[in-house]
Amino acid sequence: MAAIDAEPVQGGATQGDRDMRSHALIALAVTAAMAAAGPVTAAEPIRIGFNVPLTGFAAADGASAKNGAELAVEQINAAGGVGGRMLELVSYDDQASPKEVVPIANKLIEQDKVTAAISGSYSAPTRAAASIFQSAKVPYISAYAIHPDITRAGDYVFRTSFMGEVQGRAGAKLVGDILKKKRVVMITLQNDFGKSLADGFKEAAGTFGVEVVAEYEYSIKDRQFGPIVTRVKADAPEVIYASGYFFTAGPLVSQLRAAGIDVPVIGQEGYDSQKFIEIAGAASEGVIITTSLDRDSKDPEARDFIAAFEKKAGYPADMVAASGHTAVKVLAAALGAAGSTDPQAIRDAIAKSHVKASTGTISFNGLGEVEKDVQVQIVRDGRWHHFAVIDDRKLLAAPTN
Amino acid sequence: MFLVELFVQGLIQGSVYALIAVGLTLVYGLLRILHVAHAGLFTLGGYAGVLVTNATGSVAVALVFAALSVGAVGMAVYRFCYEPILRRPPYVALIASIGLFIAMEELFRIVFGPFGLTYDIVPLQGSVVIGGMYLRSAELVTMALAAVLIGGLGLLAGRTRIGLAWRATVSVPEMAESFGIDIVKVRYLNFFIGSALAGVAGVMVSVLNNLVEPTMGSVASYKALAIIVLGGLGNVRGTLVAALTLGVIEAYGTIYLAGFLDRDAIAFAVLIVILMVRPQGLFGRSA
Repeated sequence: MAAIDAEPVQGGATQGDRDMRSHALIALAVTAAMAAAGPVTAAEPIRIGFNVPLTGFAAADGASAKNGAELAVEQINAAGGVGGRMLELVSYDDQASPKEVVPIANKLIEQDKVTAAISGSYSAPTRAAASIFQSAKVPYISAYAIHPDITRAGDYVFRTSFMGEVQGRAGAKLVGDILKKKRVVMITLQNDFGKSLADGFKEAAGTFGVEVVAEYEYSIKDRQFGPIVTRVKADAPEVIYASGYFFTAGPLVSQLRAAGIDVPVIGQEGYDSQKFIEIAGAASEGVIITTSLDRDSKDPEARDFIAAFEKKAGYPADMVAASGHTAVKVLAAALGAAGSTDPQAIRDAIAKSHVKASTGTISFNGLGEVEKDVQVQIVRDGRWHHFAVIDDRKLLAAPTN
Repeated sequence: MFLVELFVQGLIQGSVYALIAVGLTLVYGLLRILHVAHAGLFTLGGYAGVLVTNATGSVAVALVFAALSVGAVGMAVYRFCYEPILRRPPYVALIASIGLFIAMEELFRIVFGPFGLTYDIVPLQGSVVIGGMYLRSAELVTMALAAVLIGGLGLLAGRTRIGLAWRATVSVPEMAESFGIDIVKVRYLNFFIGSALAGVAGVMVSVLNNLVEPTMGSVASYKALAIIVLGGLGNVRGTLVAALTLGVIEAYGTIYLAGFLDRDAIAFAVLIVILMVRPQGLFGRSA
């Protein structure tokens, strides 16, 4: 560079020499400064990949997951980052579609060179992405996708939320043991989420003396449940176990109540949003769900999250937001414990996690499945509130292979 | 009794399908365009319903507003999307329509947010008990509106000079034009009426669900196509019967076929069976 700069100088050798020397000196100084900065190049941020549905039918959950994950990154960076390095969330819209997520996962690995990645998306894309991250040996955490095959992609894949089956079993305990109800009608959402919940529920129903009188299925696009409501009314159950998301469960619960069906409705984490209460209105009162965020928690992590999230996002925290937040916190703790960005070290550190987060104390079994308590929440006066906690480790044990 | 209740539930759903599909079949009849973006206008009606009801406290005002504004937007869709490409092959308009529908869904998401909107106070929530059957006021109003509006459309088409011009344009556009009928006006009228009906359907569905989401029209976008094919493309009476029939079949199917057939798949299973027997649709004239 010095040589090129010196070239136009025609004013005699001395001038040129002096320029050459001064340029060389500058170059030397710059090189020295860069060398001195060597350890500081570590101040380059640690990049975390994030696939999340920001458009399409799952865009509402995607927005919450992203807000939750961003909040965690902001909090960690405000407290000095991890080992002096800031975290940077590199997020892409996967439209909750396995077709969209494949190029995204490859881009995150090869172009963005992320240190680790998190899924803020549904089961189908998360399953597709998990095997890609696994074969690249990039640690990958599923924040709230529930399909059992996700963690079976391999030892670099973890899940900080409950598998559908596990939560389904908790639902059976809630119905049979806590509420002491026996005759249940199931209304099952026809997708990975609903099916795995139903499997878990039916598996544990017998243990708690719960009899499944009938089961009806609906599609994620349904908002009108007239025929099912009519049938359920004729079945006259003691309790209804209905899987769904707030945008299906809201209309479902209000239509059940409008038809004069007043038995308890049991839902799951898919209901877990203030939006459910907004849609179902007065019909939402008394609805009970299994989830992972306790709105009345005494835990500082949960309390702090609930307050900080509402401040950042402008609407009350929900399960998906808490799950995104938890996944980032778990990953950040592992990055700190690993003390390096070596994938193997990070993977090992995640496997050994024992992290207090907004959704409880997170640790993993050998398959990378979370071990934590199930929170039972109820709608009272238009807000989610504490109802019970299920901490039966044997009932909640996820498969280990 | 239970079977009767299921039948009534089917008619309610069928009324919604009818309000949406009639506009679609009108457009097909006149221009031979599969107007997928019609489902976006239905969603727009939902948003108009929630926003106007929340602002004015009156769902009646919202219904009128939705019919007029969605009707106007429908005319704009014709003017700016379809008219410039009328002379191109039909698939050009179809692709444009699909593109417009996706753009509308994303626009709704950007403008109104991904979480959907709800009513401050949900209108028409009382329920009536008829012979042990609970019917929500909103369900009764949906059926009544479908009957009155589609019946009114039948009168307009069958008993008035405008209707005569309209039918003439559909049958032989060149001949109609040579008789002094302004076929461009007929097209605008056609888009206005079809879109207004979809807007009304959007308001009623938003009331029934207390929810309007950006993707509210996604099922309608393809199911309405199945319905108008069943009804014989361009045939309003056939579309009405197909819509109600499908609603009823779905209601029974949801309960008795759920194990192996998704509710949204029923429409297409019926479509395939009917087309095998009657390729021109239930009420189509054989070509």
